[in-house]
Amino acid sequence: MRTVTRSDRVRDVVGLIARVGLASVWLTSGILKAADPRQTLVAVRGYRILSESLVSVVAAALPYLEIALGVLLLIGLATRLAAVLSAIVLVAFIAGVISAAARGLSIDCGCFGGGGDVGVGQTAYTTEILRDVGFLLLASYLIVRSDTPLSVDRLVRRRVEEPA
Amino acid sequence: MAQAGDKRRPKGQSGAANAKRSASAGGAQPARQPSGKKPPAANTAGKTSGSRPAGRQSVAAARKSTGGSNRTQLIIGGIAVLVIGAIIVFGLVLNKQQTAVQAEGYGASTQSVATESNGIVSVSKSGAAPRVTLDIYEDALCPICAEFERQYGQQINQAIDDGSLAVNYHMLNFLNKSSFSGDYSSRAAAALLCVAQQSGAQPGVYLAFHSALFSSDHQPEEGGSSDLTNEELGKLATLSGASAAAAQCASSGQNVAAAEASATASSATLSAATGGQVATPTVVKDGKPVSLSVNWLGELLGQA
Repeated sequence: MRTVTRSDRVRDVVGLIARVGLASVWLTSGILKAADPRQTLVAVRGYRILSESLVSVVAAALPYLEIALGVLLLIGLATRLAAVLSAIVLVAFIAGVISAAARGLSIDCGCFGGGGDVGVGQTAYTTEILRDVGFLLLASYLIVRSDTPLSVDRLVRRRVEEPA
Repeated sequence: MAQAGDKRRPKGQSGAANAKRSASAGGAQPARQPSGKKPPAANTAGKTSGSRPAGRQSVAAARKSTGGSNRTQLIIGGIAVLVIGAIIVFGLVLNKQQTAVQAEGYGASTQSVATESNGIVSVSKSGAAPRVTLDIYEDALCPICAEFERQYGQQINQAIDDGSLAVNYHMLNFLNKSSFSGDYSSRAAAALLCVAQQSGAQPGVYLAFHSALFSSDHQPEEGGSSDLTNEELGKLATLSGASAAAAQCASSGQNVAAAEASATASSATLSAATGGQVATPTVVKDGKPVSLSVNWLGELLGQA
């Protein structure tokens, strides 16, 4: 018999919020990027980190990786795996923005669509870094506590544990 | 008596303790087995003591759930990886469609002529009455503009050549500071003015020079270690078919001041049209920015 304590319920709520929150971030970001492939291409190129051939591959695939992670998190399938991948991608983003800021590049990070060259006063690196760190915290929480309510994971787990 | 007995039993909530309690309460109540996994028949395999079969049940139940869940985790993980892979493959295919060069194979413009007024260059087919007129804002150093030219340059050439489109090119210079020489955007815009003024009437020359400036062979990098000098701009103009007068004008840099004044004015116009956003490339039609979907030009031409 499973007893549900209050702290379990709190964890469930927090976990659900983290999971759905991170999912919506990825879905929004991915869909906006996918909707404007040219700007995404130039946004990736603007960081001046990857070689040109890598730029086109990353710019083409990245929006869809984000959408895929968003879908997995939304339905709660393989939550821990999705959270780990999310964290890796977010760390890469943060590193990229820090690198661009350190080199004094003047670019829109292209995070939610948009991207490319803007006038000098219009960059906002600190905000972008803080925002990504916030998302990274959500992902980290989900890595530690990947069992959330209303998820395929939990549905499958209960199925497996029920009597045959 | 019953109360004393109760106190002796552990107060924990674990399944094993419950199993102990209900098992020892009597075999008369087999339905009270907590996990409900093992049928009462399993009890016969146990010893006389009530706790053993219940303990075995719990361990067996735990083992089954761990073993089952390891395999399940792998399957779940595998499905997740497949989902990611499928979505990415779909995306790559879609992306290829969306970034494909429009009107590929059409090549350079052969009918367009250019006229200049106040630093803005208007390009259209001589004698035509185009249905669609666009204002295109670019910066010579801007890589997105180069990408835009790569994807739509030939389609624009074609539309101008068949008389359905006219374009007013506004060259901005806010990327000057990102250039090696510090004023490349201004000087390239000045060279474009020279070609428009001196060779604008020669069909296709202005657009040829314009495309050349944005091609990956010639466009300098932002924050790069070199860019084109005025002389190199002049040479490129000649290569594109411009007259000696145009090349001379470009090499001397005589239009730089005019180009800078025009860039400032166009920047203000663009800001007004977009509500404050000065970014390139921007296509403006009737004072409103055009959203650049894959087939934006095809749609505009089709609607007009």
